[in-house]
Amino acid sequence: MPLGVLLTNRQYRSMPTHGIGRYRHLLPKALPKKKKDKIQAKQIKAPTATEFGVLNVCVSGYDLTLVEHYSQYIHNLCSHLDIKVDECYALPTKSTEVMVMQEQGTKMYLDGVLKTHERVVQISEMKATLFPILAEVLLKNQPEGVQLCIKQHTEADFQARFKTRPELQGLIAKINN
Amino acid sequence: MAGIVCRTVSRIISSQASCSSSVVAVRHSHWFTSMLSLKTSVPLRAEPKKKKKVDPRREMMMKERLKKKLKRLEKVPPELIPIEDFITSAKSFDETRIREAPKLSFEESERRAHLLKEWSRYKRTQHQTEMDVIQEALEAQRQALDELKLESEELYKAAVSPDTDVFPFQHEGPCYTPPITNYEAPEGKFNDITRVYTQ
Repeated sequence: MPLGVLLTNRQYRSMPTHGIGRYRHLLPKALPKKKKDKIQAKQIKAPTATEFGVLNVCVSGYDLTLVEHYSQYIHNLCSHLDIKVDECYALPTKSTEVMVMQEQGTKMYLDGVLKTHERVVQISEMKATLFPILAEVLLKNQPEGVQLCIKQHTEADFQARFKTRPELQGLIAKINN
Repeated sequence: MAGIVCRTVSRIISSQASCSSSVVAVRHSHWFTSMLSLKTSVPLRAEPKKKKKVDPRREMMMKERLKKKLKRLEKVPPELIPIEDFITSAKSFDETRIREAPKLSFEESERRAHLLKEWSRYKRTQHQTEMDVIQEALEAQRQALDELKLESEELYKAAVSPDTDVFPFQHEGPCYTPPITNYEAPEGKFNDITRVYTQ
């Protein structure tokens, strides 16, 4: 121990009450905040002998409440049947303009705007024997006006959720040329 | 006089000869196209010789610059397309329109509470029957698979393996009314007007 410590009146570690005011070690550990949570592409698992890989249960329709409630129902059902749900996200809404031809004349007039909403429930490692039962239950409970689509998850599906980057693609094309 | 004439003639001839020789010399070289354009051809032709040295370096510089730009762009992570469903419209934030909750009488609130209880009971029985049906189906499946296993191992493996031919599986929801026979739909078309986002 350096001499300076013994000479001063400050008593550190020799005192029995050393560290009496410590509380930081009792607080829960706060992880360092990341600036931006990068959404990284998870590795898509391949189907094994008894289980499927990653499946996307896609629910789409014009009526938002029906689509939303049906997707919530599917999520609850899967969690009840111990099926692992990776993600539950929404795809961007598509707006469609309905143009109708006038009865007298050749002009088209705008009838209305239809919005197609889509919700995706991502399931991974589901048993192959459970799939037909699940499909049966989903079909029985499908509401009107809602389309169900079960497909395998691909990288293209994942990339479709992101904004297009024309500058990046242009640069890559230039470098390749 | 005749001698001077002779000398001048000889000079003319020699000059002509020299001219012709220079002309001949010019025509031998491929750099000079014609007599008239003698003066302009040399400096013009010298330019491409200079570019040959700098070209590969310039190309390298351009490529490096492009690669640096690419690195900078790639560092920025891609953004998700915002979903219009989840963005509340500005009208909802208007605080001038407020509706107070209606004041209910005692009987009304009691009736509503009883109704909620009835509804929860109904939904519970519905959920219970659904789960029972699922469990029965699973049990039947398990028994069938056990029997199949005793029969043959290969068929059991084939039955348990996942079926990828069924994807993509699509099904439309039921309709209230069947489609009308011989229905003439009005002419028209659909235009996709979804907003395209670029980063």
